[in-house]
Formats: sequence, C-alpha cells, structure tokens
Amino acid sequence: MIQMHNVFMSYPPESSALADINLKIPKGDFVFLTGQSGAGKSTLLKLIYADLTPTRGQVLIDGVNLTRLSRSQVPLLRRSIGVVFQDYKLLPNRTVLENVAITLEVLGWGKRDIGKKVYHILKRMGIEDKINATPLRLSGGEQQRVALARALVNDPKILVADEPTGNLDDENKEAILSIFKEANNRGTTVVVATHDRRVIENSHRRVIRLDKGSIVHTPDFMVAGVTGSAGVCPLEEVPDVQG
Amino acid sequence: MSRANKGAVRPKLEQEGFFGRLSYFTSRALANLRQNVFVSAVTVGTIALALLIASLFLLVYVNLEGMAEGWSDKVQVTAYFDQEPAPLAVAAMKGRVQAIAGTAKVVFVSQAEAEKRLRSRLKGQESLLEGISPDVLPASLEIRLDRDHRDTDAVAAYVKKLKQIQGISEVQYGEEWVKRFNSFMNLFRLMGALLGSFLTITVLFIVSNTIKLTIYARKDELELLGLVGATRFFIKAPFLIEGILQGAAGAVISLLALLGCYFAFLKNAGDFLGINPASAGLSFLPATHLAGVVLGGVLLGFIGSATSLKRFINV
Repeated sequence: MIQMHNVFMSYPPESSALADINLKIPKGDFVFLTGQSGAGKSTLLKLIYADLTPTRGQVLIDGVNLTRLSRSQVPLLRRSIGVVFQDYKLLPNRTVLENVAITLEVLGWGKRDIGKKVYHILKRMGIEDKINATPLRLSGGEQQRVALARALVNDPKILVADEPTGNLDDENKEAILSIFKEANNRGTTVVVATHDRRVIENSHRRVIRLDKGSIVHTPDFMVAGVTGSAGVCPLEEVPDVQG
Repeated sequence: MSRANKGAVRPKLEQEGFFGRLSYFTSRALANLRQNVFVSAVTVGTIALALLIASLFLLVYVNLEGMAEGWSDKVQVTAYFDQEPAPLAVAAMKGRVQAIAGTAKVVFVSQAEAEKRLRSRLKGQESLLEGISPDVLPASLEIRLDRDHRDTDAVAAYVKKLKQIQGISEVQYGEEWVKRFNSFMNLFRLMGALLGSFLTITVLFIVSNTIKLTIYARKDELELLGLVGATRFFIKAPFLIEGILQGAAGAVISLLALLGCYFAFLKNAGDFLGINPASAGLSFLPATHLAGVVLGGVLLGFIGSATSLKRFINV
C-alpha cells in the first residue's frame, strides 16, 4: 500500500511542487495520476521510489516511512518498485538484453538465469527478436517496451510509469496499457502518470487528479466503471506512521 | 529494511564470496571498457602522457643525482703521521681508523710512496726535487668515507674523531670543496622536490579532470543503476576497477614510451656529443622506480575515479 500523509514538496528556492497531499493506494490497485504539465505528477512518482524526499509530511510504502529510511536502505526499497521513466533511460551503448538485465544484475542473479528471464519478459512484450539490438535502432514503441521490460523483469510489488504513452501511436498505446493491466492482474500495484485523457477514459481505472500541486476533485467521467473513492484519503483514515 | 522489502534480495552474485564478487565486478569493468572504447582510450592516453612527462623528469633527476653522487667520491680525508709508523703499527692504526663509523676504505701511503707519487706528478721537472730528502713528505692514511658520511657536518665529526687517535698530527679533507659540494646537492634536491611537486600536482589535476569528464559522460548510467536499486558499492566497484585498469595501462604505455625516448636520446646524444653513451653513465630507471610509476598510475586511476564518482552517485 502506498500512503501519503500531509506531503509538501518544494524545490529550491521557493517553488512549490506539491501541497498537502493525502492519499492511499491499496495493494494491487491500478491508479492513473493525471493533471496538466507542471501539476506535480512526476514529483509525486519520484516520492514513491524515493528519488525525492518530501519537504514536509510522510510517504509510506507497505507501512515503511520513506522519510526515515537511511541511505543504505533506499536501494532495497527501489528493488521492489519498477519504474518506467518518461525519457526511458535506456543505455545507448548496451543491447536490449543488457539494458533489461541491469535490474537482475543488481539483485545478484547469475548470467544464465538472467538470459532466460530477460528472454521471457521480452517475449511477453513481443520484442524478443530485438534482444541483441541497441536502443537507438529501435522505434519509440519498442524502446518503451524495453523500458517496461526492465521495470517488470523482477516482478516488482509496485510499478510506476511517467507518461508511458506520451510519444506513441494508438496501437502502441493499447499494447503498452495491456501490459500494465497484465502486470496488475499478477498482483502488482500500478501507478501511471499521464495527461492523455483517452487513455484514462478507455481504461476504467481510478484517477487521482493533480492541479498546481494539490489533489482536486476527480470528475465522474474519469472514474467511469469504478466504485469507491477516487484515491483521496481523508486525514483520519491514514494510519499511524511507523518507521 | 523491514516490511516493504521482505521480497528484496541482497546482492548475491553468481559466484559468492570475495573472489566471486571480484570476478563479477572485473568482468563488468572490462565490459564497460569495451562499450566505452573512445572514452576509455582518452583516459588511458591522458594518464600515459601525464606519467610520461613525470617519468622523463624522474629519469633526468635520477641520472643527475647519480652523477652528482659520483662526484662525492672525491670526498677524501687524509691523516698525516708525525713519524712513519712501523709496519705492525700501521696495521693497528688502520684497524682503529676502520673502527670509526663512516670509514669505507683506508690506504696507507708511506714516505717512499709519497715521494714516488710526487715524482710521477712532476715528470720532466724532477730537478725541482734535487737536494730534498724523502723524509720531508710525511706518511699518511688516505680514507674514503661511505655515502652517509659525506655531508659537511658528518665529515667534520669524523675528522674530530680521527684527530683523537694518537700518532696523527694533521688531518686534511678539502673543507671548502665539501661545503660547496653539499650546498650544491642541497639546492639540487630542493629544486628536484619543488619541480617534482609541481609536476605531481599538474598530473593529478589533469588526470582527475579527465576522469571526471569521462564519468560525467556516463552519468546517466550511474543514475539509472541507483534508480533500479543498486547499492553505492555495486555502482562504484566496476568504475573503480576500470580506473585501476586504465591507470595501470596508462603507466605501462608511458614506461614503454619512456624506454623508446631513452634509447633514442642515448643514441642521438652519443652521436651528437661524440661520447660513448655507456661512459656518460646515463641509465634507465631502476626497478623500484618503475614499480613506483606503475603504482602511481594505478593510484591515479583509482583515486581519480573515486573522487569523481562521489559527485554523480545519488544513492
């Protein structure tokens, strides 16, 4: 479960990115994070995988307070979270195999096991024939799938993606979204930041809308087919913070 | 880490233990070198050039110091006797002189030997010695000092001890020459240390900045490794091994270039000056210095990488 409790985030000198964020994303949920550019979507995702520490407030993952994590504990947290970056962050001088393998090498997997696991995930993504290609030789959609494969290859508990369909055509968008859904069906909590209205409308998932760094009321059309709260959690429902 | 990371696995490499990890990180470092050939070549080239300049300076310094040390062989103490001692007394006297710390070699010069030497020096002008009795020239002991006892204060202290031996009437050792020679050597060493220090600082500056630039070029890789959950050690280790390999390669290349320069210089200098290079006494760096250059390269690569990595790892 992902929880945020009175979270404020500002960048120096005095630029406020998030203000008084309170939310609760249950385990196994699939949530869209939406809002205009500069609304704070990327900042909120970075708080989840501890790339940023909030200026005020607390972020909890499965009850662990990230603001109290020591520097040596951060890598352990990140191993349980798959991240798809807006700019993919693929290493241009490494092959697709080597790019995806990074996640498993960090975990200490052996070469042979890495080869098998990477091949399987690439097959799931439909790009197993590109295993020895370098990212620069791939299309945008293929690069996005490699980034997804790297995020999912170790079956993370949480998957966060920042504008994963930004530069893709409709066909590729559909394919990427179906991969997210598949991961979610396997039990992974999925948080996708996007400002693509059509993607949200077609997915019928919960939506958290950000505006100028604050969570705002979620329009009905955005929660079509979904029951329950829109992800905004009243303060009293946030459990006690434990480190 | 508690609940949130129950599923997270501590890095457990294919081969466990120290050697397993070393093997993994080394293979990762070698793969990185292959994947970043141009950047690696720039680093190795810079280290090689910087160390070549430093090694050339070292070669010149070592040879000049060797030559200067050779001149110090001229530091000789002569102890004159009141009267020529009997052969048995000579042996005893030599023994007492040998017992003084700093004595390298003692040679007895009898009155007859002294006269013979004088005659040979005045060859063609022997008439100057007519009517002069051989007894006029005193018998003496010619003493060579070992290298540690050739500076001004050590020679003076040695002479003081020598004068305490009964039967020795006078001691000469070219006090002025010894003083001037030692002043020159002190100045030479000071200049060497200053130039060497400036050169070392320059080399450190150039190499560390080159490594910083090459690591900057790979900052995306460092950032990504951190974001997928690599520990600081996991990120740093291959880069540090790369630094060590690049430093060692740079050092070996610089020594090979120095060897080439050395032979080219000796040959040309011999032709140009019309001297036999062997007799000029120029020699290549001794093994300890060669090992020092390689170690210097390794340290440069390691420290350069370590300090540069600090800035770019955000874990």
